[in-house]
Amino acid sequence: MNEKFQALMPADAPPRGTCIRLERPEPGLMLLVLAPPHRKLAVLDLALMADFETALDEVAKEKPRALVITGREPTSFAAGADLEALVKIEDQALALELGRYGQSLFQKLAHLAAFKVAAVGGPVPGGAFEMALACDRIVLADHPSSRIGLPEVQLGILPGWGGSQRLPRRIGIPAALDAILTGRLFDPKRALRAGMVDRLTWPEYLVRVASDIAMGRMRCSRFDRGASSWMVDKNPIAKAIIRRKVTADVQSKTHGHYPAPLAVIPLVIAAPSTRIEEGLEHEAQALARLMISPVCKNLVSIFRLSEEAKKLGKLPSGADARELHSVGVVGAGVMGAGIAMLAAQKGFWTRLSDVERAPLDRALLLHRANVAKDAKRRRLPINEVNAAIDRLGAGVGLKEFSGCDVVVEAVAERLDIKAKVFGELAGMLPADAILATNTSSLSVDAIAASLPHPERVVGMHFFNPVAQMPLVEVVRGAATSDEVVHAIAKLALKLGKTPVITADKAGFVVNRLLGPYLDEAARLFEAGVEVERIDRLAREFGMPMGPMELLDEVGFDIAAHAAESLEKAYGARMASSGFLKRLLDAGIKGKKSGAGFYLHGKDSKGKQRVANPAVARLLGSARVPPQDLTDAVMLDRMFMAMLNEAALALEEVVIAGPRELDLATVFGMGFPPFRGGLLRWADQLGTREVLARLQKISSAADIQTRGPTAARFTPAPLIRKLAEQNARFHDVAS
Amino acid sequence: MIHVPTQRARCVLAAGLRLPQMKSGGVFKQENAAHLGAVAARELLLRTGIPTDSIDEVIVGCVGPPQDQANVARVLSLRAGVPESVPARTIGRNCASGMDAVTSACTLIEAGRGDLFLCVGVEVMSQYPLTYGPGMTAMFERLSRARTVGARVAALATFRPKFLAPRVALMEGLTDPVSGMIMGRTAELLARDFGITREAADRYAMTSHHRAAKARDSGRFAREIVPHLPLGAKEGDLASVHDDGIRDDQSMEGLAKLKPYFEKPDGIVTVGNSCGITDGATALLITTPERAHELGLTPLADIRAWAWAGLEPSRMGLGPVYATALALDQAGVAMSDISAIEINEAFAAQVLACQAAFASDSWAREHLSRATRLGEIDPAMLNKNGGAIALGHPVGATGARLILTTAIELAIVDGELGLASMCIGGGQGGSMLLERSRA
Repeated sequence: MNEKFQALMPADAPPRGTCIRLERPEPGLMLLVLAPPHRKLAVLDLALMADFETALDEVAKEKPRALVITGREPTSFAAGADLEALVKIEDQALALELGRYGQSLFQKLAHLAAFKVAAVGGPVPGGAFEMALACDRIVLADHPSSRIGLPEVQLGILPGWGGSQRLPRRIGIPAALDAILTGRLFDPKRALRAGMVDRLTWPEYLVRVASDIAMGRMRCSRFDRGASSWMVDKNPIAKAIIRRKVTADVQSKTHGHYPAPLAVIPLVIAAPSTRIEEGLEHEAQALARLMISPVCKNLVSIFRLSEEAKKLGKLPSGADARELHSVGVVGAGVMGAGIAMLAAQKGFWTRLSDVERAPLDRALLLHRANVAKDAKRRRLPINEVNAAIDRLGAGVGLKEFSGCDVVVEAVAERLDIKAKVFGELAGMLPADAILATNTSSLSVDAIAASLPHPERVVGMHFFNPVAQMPLVEVVRGAATSDEVVHAIAKLALKLGKTPVITADKAGFVVNRLLGPYLDEAARLFEAGVEVERIDRLAREFGMPMGPMELLDEVGFDIAAHAAESLEKAYGARMASSGFLKRLLDAGIKGKKSGAGFYLHGKDSKGKQRVANPAVARLLGSARVPPQDLTDAVMLDRMFMAMLNEAALALEEVVIAGPRELDLATVFGMGFPPFRGGLLRWADQLGTREVLARLQKISSAADIQTRGPTAARFTPAPLIRKLAEQNARFHDVAS
Repeated sequence: MIHVPTQRARCVLAAGLRLPQMKSGGVFKQENAAHLGAVAARELLLRTGIPTDSIDEVIVGCVGPPQDQANVARVLSLRAGVPESVPARTIGRNCASGMDAVTSACTLIEAGRGDLFLCVGVEVMSQYPLTYGPGMTAMFERLSRARTVGARVAALATFRPKFLAPRVALMEGLTDPVSGMIMGRTAELLARDFGITREAADRYAMTSHHRAAKARDSGRFAREIVPHLPLGAKEGDLASVHDDGIRDDQSMEGLAKLKPYFEKPDGIVTVGNSCGITDGATALLITTPERAHELGLTPLADIRAWAWAGLEPSRMGLGPVYATALALDQAGVAMSDISAIEINEAFAAQVLACQAAFASDSWAREHLSRATRLGEIDPAMLNKNGGAIALGHPVGATGARLILTTAIELAIVDGELGLASMCIGGGQGGSMLLERSRA
């Protein structure tokens, strides 16, 4: 092992030679077990890699007939490469050497004379799968926890330990491109069908079956992809077509913000017709370039933050938070129905209620349709389909909620209505049943005020559409207990969401930051900038949709209501231009009314979005935006307004720290992941630059004349302080 | 069978509800027994809020469980969210299966083998299958045993077009194989025995519809029905709230136009004065007064006595008279003590025949070995909210529905005793006496 790698060693590395166990269960067979003492699930960190190298040498010396590589348990193999080491690497030469080192180990494995079988199970992502790919056969444990694939691209890198070379050789170019570019992990049946593994077996039989195959007692032929695939892999014309098509697809999806997928395409396409040593060298070079790129660092940062968020399912003491089984949802509007459907699909017995029957019926029908769609897509067996349908029940009234562990209310945003619902529930539910509110504009404390046991009242703020939006803000009221906060975070995780804990301040985090951003966008429009241009700017910045499109989706009534409550809480700097109100008065509400800033009618489907002429008419005479409103200035107006508010929120400790805030911006509003989140983006600009830009905006003529709202650009004290010390947001302690 | 009263645990109907009963092949046609029953059961469990893991057993009456739901009770139970640790069994006593679910629970309670039972009656007659006859079955059998191509061809060659004629499970199920009579013909026999006219039967049927319509409009049925949005509902459909067999404007003229269905040309039983083929489910919670109190439930009624009786299969329609005689004796009460009566309306002629038998001294002497009649039934108190002629007869569910309807009616009329009774294909009767809860 290279001396330079010392710095990348995990801090808690165990003594040399303890990470790998070599067993000799019978003559001629060696069993290589990944069993690092310092990790529950093995990670291919340098401690393990070094021991792996030693172990391979020992195997080479002993020359067994067969070798089986497996994990400590049938469903615990390895989690892939060590992200801690990855984030530490800033030097391209070191990155190159690390890539080559991993490649050389797996080459050594591949060159062993023994017949090698990888017996894997549980999660087998990235480097773990690349290790298996260097073996002659792969046997996968048929278990719900088994997931196998090459997700590196999602972290801004590529499968750099031979994966980009061995996978296309194994399963062909088209399938390998699909697996590597999506980065998705395959369940056992799909992995077998795709040829990523050669055989499935029960976890209990994994090592025995692998040993039998290795020793030749059991037949197991390698996945054969047939002649048709060969005609693709060795056919230059087919490859050229694939390359053009896939590259164009990736371009249109990533807008050039993500270099990794583009780098991996030529590697995969060339693989089947290149000598492996040559292919590996190209792979190592590409990996090294990507590894030190800010995009990779940012994506890894977001990944680690989302992994950290999973710890919120435990109490600070480390004990597991309470497990909730049955969920009640009050209010069958878009949010309530969405929450109930999600809960039922994710395995919770769910009860949905409303004051009327009709919305319940709509929700039930939608649920059944969604389950049917999901069943078709994932080929669910009929019993699971039935169960998912059975789990959602609905009825008028609250009587049927008596057995619920948690009730989420999503009724109208009025304090008296919410308080009444919770009052009624508090009277009939046991004292430990959790009352969660999906409010976005009311205070959790105010809702809890008159209730007995306010410690069980908490905010659980989902975003619309519930099924797609990955964030849930868990809002801690003044009285909310830790147990309740973490039980709700755990529930959010079980629903497949990422939780962040926020304080009970108006707008919490996401809506608070969106407020000034959306209002600035609306003001740009009022100043005469075309709606398409505003949205294009935001999209090019990397947002999944532009602010005007977002307003259309959310609905102007809801956006205006949210803006109002922000203004009430934070004063003039949150004051909105009032333009949405004017649109509302004209009956324009956004997508739900068929038209907002854009037309959403049936005939506009599938075509390019068309701006709504009625909105422009409301503006009156055509306006010409001031000359100095360049693209850069406009972007700054929107995002600096957001950032300045974020600094204030951070100072007020609305959220634990800059890392959590970044996570909330990426998962809650789609802030570009490759930028690593709002504050990471700001840190990469530098806080001095941020301060300068805010001051520049403040001094602009139209801002000067804007009145008290201009205060949103007055640099937050935190920004001044950080700029003064030339420090970063991420230096602010969590 | 005589049920001997001894010192034993008392049973109560702690709670109950049903889904609307919908004409077969209609709104519920894509339902299945396990799902429909599970919906009723789950609604009841949620409404009562009882700890489901303390249920002793789930007992389900169902005459024709779907072939892919062997022991439909277990499937239903798990789909309703009852814990896996709670056992479940399916009960069959033809048209009275739903009532048998309840009496089975009572038997267990009295024997000290539990005190909390979820009883469900369910039937999805829409899903009764068509099957191949023995000819086709034999051909498939030969085919499956054929090993060579020649043998396969030979097996296929035995095919005859008549093999395609389906056996209709519904019609075969409604025919008593011992007497060889389809149910409608047993009613015709009773009409001849008791001199019941077509006009009387039609009038009875019309009243059933009008009473049911009134009960629906007054909100009476809302006390037992929970709305249900069936499987197969399309976008824009709303949950079913009411039984859909009720004909508000049923007239004598309309009924008179119908031809006799079972015995042409002189029969009196038409589709208009018979019960409809229907899908439905009823769920009941059977427990002891003490346990109900513990669970915070106010019982709908006590179960005072019940009895099953057997009689000639060809006159099965008189089953209620035989069974009621036993139940009255058990309880030591008389017909005059009863203030709410449900006798299942399999056929108008059959209910009228029962009424006549109840009121006849000579019939009682001859068939029940009693000195005098059981007692006349006041038509105003019999099936006050209409019956199966209007609401339909989902065979496995009806027994449970009658108990629920009687219990609620007892409270409405503020009476002491109520009677739920029904005839059973194959020649049986079942009766249950309910008493206002003293708790």
